[in-house]
Amino acid sequence: MKKTLLLISAIAFLFTSCDKDKAITTDITINFTHTVSGADLITNSMTYTNEAGENYDIQTLKYLISEITLHSENGNSLLLDEVHFIDISDESTFSFSYNDVPNNDYTSISFDMGLDTAKNISNKYVNDDFHTTMFWPEPNGGGYHYMKLEGAYNNDSTFYNTHTGGTMGADYSFNHVKNISLTVDNDLGNVSANINMELNNWYNSPQIEFSSYGMGIMMNMMMQNNIKVNGSTNVFTVTIDK
Amino acid sequence: MKSLIYLLLGSILIISCKKDLAPISGCTDNIAINYNPNAITEDQSCNYFNTTPYVIETPYGFPDMKIPSDNPMTVEGIALGEKLFKDPILSADKTQACINCHQQNFSFSDPNQFSTGIDNIQGNRNASALINLGWNTSFNWDGSSLTLEEQAFEPVTNSIEMHNTWTNVELELNSHSNYPSLFKQAFNINYIDSNHVVKAIAQFERTLISTNSKLDRYLNNEEQLTISELNGYAIFNTEKGDCFHCHSTNMFMDNLFHNNGLDIEPFIDIGRAKVTSNPLDNGKFKTPTLRNVEMTAPYMHDGRFATLEEVVDHYDSGGKYSTTVDPLMKKLGVGLQLSNQEKKDLVAYLKTLTDNEFITQ
Repeated sequence: MKKTLLLISAIAFLFTSCDKDKAITTDITINFTHTVSGADLITNSMTYTNEAGENYDIQTLKYLISEITLHSENGNSLLLDEVHFIDISDESTFSFSYNDVPNNDYTSISFDMGLDTAKNISNKYVNDDFHTTMFWPEPNGGGYHYMKLEGAYNNDSTFYNTHTGGTMGADYSFNHVKNISLTVDNDLGNVSANINMELNNWYNSPQIEFSSYGMGIMMNMMMQNNIKVNGSTNVFTVTIDK
Repeated sequence: MKSLIYLLLGSILIISCKKDLAPISGCTDNIAINYNPNAITEDQSCNYFNTTPYVIETPYGFPDMKIPSDNPMTVEGIALGEKLFKDPILSADKTQACINCHQQNFSFSDPNQFSTGIDNIQGNRNASALINLGWNTSFNWDGSSLTLEEQAFEPVTNSIEMHNTWTNVELELNSHSNYPSLFKQAFNINYIDSNHVVKAIAQFERTLISTNSKLDRYLNNEEQLTISELNGYAIFNTEKGDCFHCHSTNMFMDNLFHNNGLDIEPFIDIGRAKVTSNPLDNGKFKTPTLRNVEMTAPYMHDGRFATLEEVVDHYDSGGKYSTTVDPLMKKLGVGLQLSNQEKKDLVAYLKTLTDNEFITQ
């Protein structure tokens, strides 16, 4: 009796360990990190200076990253998430994971800052958490804010709002592609892709000063375009940790 | 000795026989809600627990309402909740019901700056309008309750409101002529407890939905707005007036807490920080919906503004600086600089959110 029991448990153990070996796959975690002039973002701290020489702090940062996709050499693409909402006041939004990445040689990762025209439609994401906070009113084109970046500048009682979105229905979202070398062959375990936003660069070249544009750019197509130019130049960097 | 035992047995028999001697007819099925344990003759009167589900249709531009899985909406639960909401039985001296401070004519709010409890003591916050509550993620001006069920516990025992005890409420309801059967029908319970009282009230509150305003009809191409209302619409929905960031979407609120520049420090009422103990939340209050705002005067958490004109004047002034004032108050010190006509337009627009059906149905 004892022997049989031992045998059974041994077999069971064997099966369990076999299962474990089999279960090793590749999961990818996308992390969103934030820096200002190279240092990790600290909110509510009047320690930053933009290209225009204005001191500022960051109190609110909320934004949407969409179409987060891995591309492979053979032309296949793997959509990791359609839309991801990041809120600096909620750490749970700083990352998400995609499990069981199929085997392939992935050569690039790409994402959109904001929502392209096909997705930037009023009430399209009515049941998502960001629906209320990122809402962009109909008379100004509808859809959603791509980003809300807010704080004080020069002194504690003068504020700036940098709200980007599809002003008058125009598409100011932009695509970011990063070439990577990631061969997934079942056994990588957890891989991370880190998407860093360098916040100061939203305001650099072309220079954007809060004293002129702090009170709002939601209706300002020229400024939406300048922000887009700055954003697509040097705001985002992507690194891969295997 | 033996005869004594016989006598005893005999008397027991007689006593039990006596009970049996008065046979009553009724429902003899013990799973029925009106099961009568004394009934021996089945009279086909059995009613079984069978609630009627109540479906909330999602209004345009609203998310699906999140209803707690342990309190599904039923016609019976809602009717019971409405009865409780309007019944002064919940207050210690039976003089005050929920509806006394949440009056339907005022979109279920109190036209007084502060409500007065049964002991003639006033609170220090304005009673909120009860409207589209099912889409809120927290309740009270400081968000101290996370569900409607949780919220409903509070006014009953609050010493400056209904000043009752739940033990007393349960006693009153269980000995009432109607409530035991109504609770039985709604929840299939034999003993009424506080949990089911608040469940019923919460169900009723979730049905207080307003989406038939002039603005809704305009957005649905059924009615036109005046030039003034349209100007107000544009001011509201652009950074000129910048109302929409907090009063956002078709719900006209964002479920968040903001310091809108009402006061300088120190604050008399620290608001959200009372709940979170975070000094960064000092002076922040929950954004109320603006639906039916015309009916919900006075305004702000402390009811300091009697009219919508005063509210618009506050925002037009740009507000006062304090360390936690929201950066959305970006025209602080400068003001919105609206003309008198633009202020009127904004008020005219706010009045397009009035839903008269809501206060009469």
